[in-house]
Amino acid sequence: MSWLPLAHALSARQDLPVPAWLFAWGASIVLIVSFFALAAGWRRPRFEQARWRPLAAGLSRAAVSLPVQALCGLAGVFLLGVAVYAALRGTEAPDRNFALTFLFVTVWLGFPFFSAIFGDLFRPFNPWRAVGRATGAAFAAVAGQRPRHLAYPERLGRYPAAAGLVAFVWLEVVYGTSGGVAVGLDPQSAGIAALIYSGYTLAMMALFGVEKWCERGETFSVYFGMFSQLGFLAVRDGRLGVRRPLAAAGSWATVPGSLAVVVASISTTSFDGASEGAFKGGIEWVFDRFADVGFGLDTAARLSDTVFMALCLLGVAGVYLLGVRGMHTVHGAPAFAKLRDGFAHTLIPIALAYLVAHYFSLFVFQEQAQFTYLLSDPLGTGSTDLFGTAGSGIDFTVLSANAIWYVQVGALVAGHVLGLTLAHDRALSYWPDFRDATRSQYWMLAVMVAFTCFGLYLLSVSNA
Amino acid sequence: MLPLAHLGHWLWVFYVLPVLFVIGGIVWSSVGQRRRD
Repeated sequence: MSWLPLAHALSARQDLPVPAWLFAWGASIVLIVSFFALAAGWRRPRFEQARWRPLAAGLSRAAVSLPVQALCGLAGVFLLGVAVYAALRGTEAPDRNFALTFLFVTVWLGFPFFSAIFGDLFRPFNPWRAVGRATGAAFAAVAGQRPRHLAYPERLGRYPAAAGLVAFVWLEVVYGTSGGVAVGLDPQSAGIAALIYSGYTLAMMALFGVEKWCERGETFSVYFGMFSQLGFLAVRDGRLGVRRPLAAAGSWATVPGSLAVVVASISTTSFDGASEGAFKGGIEWVFDRFADVGFGLDTAARLSDTVFMALCLLGVAGVYLLGVRGMHTVHGAPAFAKLRDGFAHTLIPIALAYLVAHYFSLFVFQEQAQFTYLLSDPLGTGSTDLFGTAGSGIDFTVLSANAIWYVQVGALVAGHVLGLTLAHDRALSYWPDFRDATRSQYWMLAVMVAFTCFGLYLLSVSNA
Repeated sequence: MLPLAHLGHWLWVFYVLPVLFVIGGIVWSSVGQRRRD
């Protein structure tokens, strides 16, 4: 989110009572204590069943009936249309154009935050799903039968969604770089990308079916759906119900490519945070090498950023796989592939923690803009004031630097404790002896401590 | 005079120490378990 430097660098610096690295030590101690608490008090798996229970029929009808779904879908299509129009016809200034804040803050950060609590909120608002379903219904009405689709190659799993996730962040964080000065993605490029993605998504839906593509390959459905597995609300067979929080995550990650999605989430968030902080020196060094070889400044900047984004992907995947390798050495361990896929869901709370830690302040600040001057003047031309708020601004004093740091630490600790809990619970279902299960989780503890310290290190350097 | 001006370059070490501590504990526990077995 490099076009909003003030979101991370506030006018007031941090005034912490102890050095930032001591918070990392404190967080690590919390994780270690949590580990021993789980070992002592959690002796049987509790998250293998989601225990979904339907809510009152009236409430379910009000929330998930066809008219409500149609209305939500219509709203999604309308907002996407407004965003694309604003991107293509509005101001080039990223902070004054409705499209960039809407797509990269409100949608990209809002849905994970709220889906993690309330369940899959994106599904009814998914504009491509709405268009696909409407088209399918129209086809059925005319042809007298549902459209036929190709069988989705199940080995492909969620890999297309993972690739789309990396491409989305690459577009915003890497492609947006210009001449070594991070000005971010321009609105017109965002609009064109949205149109290309829409065409690609609708084509894939036509090939494989709307619901199948949303479950496997549609980037936003899969990405937001991943976080929704933590939430307590879920729809089953057209009925709204409640389930045990976190419990659905374990069955979500059984599809091939799910690990790639969650690793992509953690690593792209890490890269975005590190590119202006911890990795800055390294990126500049690689940039100089590419520039020396003869690449143009823009190309050299994009190549060097791409190299480090790839290193982040490999690094996060590598740490997790090392943990899996460690678990595999414990007596009674299942096959490596089963462990690798069976513990992938434990990274979902970590992905959410990273998202909250890195972006919640940006979300708090930019949503003020979203619902004031961007809503009243979506094109940013200064000629409209639809709701009388075009002259409003962002109040950066709502969050102090210290408050941001404490929320960041709290989010990382909470996310990793939840990850540790999910891992411990899964281990109890894989190892018959709870002592072997606990021993296997030494390695996941190391993974969690590593991700916690890495996340806090990135944030401390960014905030400095 | 302490070279405190360059201390910032080495702050990452403080973030790695907890990880090394946990890994050390794992190794120690594994060695002990092998001896018992």
